[in-house]
Amino acid sequence: MNAEFIQNLPTAEQAIARLRELGMPKRNNELWSFFPVAKIPTPEFMGTDFAAASTASQASPAENAAATQESDFAALLPIANNARPMVREIVAGAAEMSMLKCNNDFGHTVLDIGKGAKVSLEILDNKVTHDIAAERFDINIGEDADVEIFFANPACDLPLRFRHFNINQAAGSTVRFSSICKDTAIGRVSVECHLKGEGANFDYRSLHILDGEASQHSRLTIYHEAPRTTSTQLARNLLSGSARVSYDGSVIVGYDCTGVNSSQLVNTILMSEDASVSVKPVLKIYHDDVECTHGNTVGELDAEQMFYLVSRGIPKKAAQEMLMRSFAQETFLPLPDTPAKKRLMSEV
Amino acid sequence: MLSIKNLKASIEDGTQILKGINLEVKPGEVHAIMGPNGSGKSTLSKVIAGHPAYRVDGGSVELDGKNLLEMEINERANSGLFISTQYPTEIPGVNNVEFLKMALNSKRAFLGLPEMGDAEFKQLCEEKMNLLEMDERYRERGVNDGMSGGEKKRNEILQMAILDPKVSFLDETDSGLDIDALRIVANGINHIMSPEKAVILVTHYQRLLDYIKPTYVHVLRHGKIILSGGPELALKLEDQGYDWIEEAK
Repeated sequence: MNAEFIQNLPTAEQAIARLRELGMPKRNNELWSFFPVAKIPTPEFMGTDFAAASTASQASPAENAAATQESDFAALLPIANNARPMVREIVAGAAEMSMLKCNNDFGHTVLDIGKGAKVSLEILDNKVTHDIAAERFDINIGEDADVEIFFANPACDLPLRFRHFNINQAAGSTVRFSSICKDTAIGRVSVECHLKGEGANFDYRSLHILDGEASQHSRLTIYHEAPRTTSTQLARNLLSGSARVSYDGSVIVGYDCTGVNSSQLVNTILMSEDASVSVKPVLKIYHDDVECTHGNTVGELDAEQMFYLVSRGIPKKAAQEMLMRSFAQETFLPLPDTPAKKRLMSEV
Repeated sequence: MLSIKNLKASIEDGTQILKGINLEVKPGEVHAIMGPNGSGKSTLSKVIAGHPAYRVDGGSVELDGKNLLEMEINERANSGLFISTQYPTEIPGVNNVEFLKMALNSKRAFLGLPEMGDAEFKQLCEEKMNLLEMDERYRERGVNDGMSGGEKKRNEILQMAILDPKVSFLDETDSGLDIDALRIVANGINHIMSPEKAVILVTHYQRLLDYIKPTYVHVLRHGKIILSGGPELALKLEDQGYDWIEEAK
């Protein structure tokens, strides 16, 4: 087990102190600029005077070191709510398929995946009894490990759900992070990925198929901290009704990180007048020899493709469904033939 | 069978492309439409199919006595009309075979026939693919996705063979075909053709008409059919071009 990785996790007290210091999320905070922050209930531990409470924290600066670096409310919330960490080690060279399911509103999973391990990890919805759920996953990935993390759960009507991932990748490791969201209420998935070792690769694919009043938000920050690290982001959205999606994706390339390659692409099809998408790409590049791209398309179903299908006798509604399904399936087509791909394609 | 009377149509900016087309097509006939670029040949096929980029300003198009212009696009197809455009649209992600099966069963539902099952469809598909000398890769690919121009045209004729339309309007099906592919596609069309069906071919060249013998040849220019004749007209056009028609008037 990577001791340093575990020791750097904040305690509940540290998380509460940090949350009090940060205060509740506001729209003028760039982490939450697209999120309907007014819908987040204030936790009891926040008290009424956040600043005073923060000053009163008994933790020493050294003890608070890890906690004070964390600035995302959603990452701290499960720990502050005393989610007991489920700590698991997958040893070097192991091959494993797992399903993760929290048994409470607030969950915290800590995984330490050894060198060269091959892991397929499906995240199931947690058992929720209240109006808010928050899960945090801290995943440390050893050299040359191959890991897929995915979730494609049935549509959930939970009023508010957060999922936060901290991922650290060593040299030569690969992570494929893929998800489908059909939830009907408000949610946010945030990912912080640190590509710490040379040649590490992070592949992110998300698909939102939303209708009604759904409001789903993604925030990614990928830190390229070593040479020749690569990352791919592909987010696709099919939005109907008054559904709303935001995608806030940052790529940060550090000093001396030569040969980095990163791409980000967001494609959205709006099926109704009231559906909307907000996209914010951020690139911070501190080295010359890198290749980083980003793109964003928003549109309707392709009129020529619709005409072609209908002109062969296929009813308009069925043709629309065919095109939507193909748009959705293309998100995951490039994935290798693994359990994740099978599951995701079947859900589409 | 297909009766087009005084058909006029324009594009969104109001420019009229078709200025009064008249054409009568009877069962068993093959009509070839020729004409210079920009004369309205492709527009004619798209207007008949119901493409939303065109507005019908007047006239009628009847298939077996039913006004196609009053039907939805899919109803026109299911009533027996098949249009193959000059540049078949690519639809990545929609599997070729699933699309074909959906199209066929949509037509069968329209005609009140039961859905064709997997085994029967597979057999039908194999038969028609063999006719067009198509290999198994077509099954796995998206509709026209990444296909060469010739492969797309062959795929169009496969659709025609499976959907078995009464009237097929094939717009420059010979473009992009090499010599062997032209022969295969033309043989396929001849095989599908029967005394109960009709084909309208839009082409620039005699070479397709060497394989598919037209009953009539028409010249479309400036949105109107300005001359009609027998197969010999195509040979004359190939030899002399179109200017002599205007000069003779």
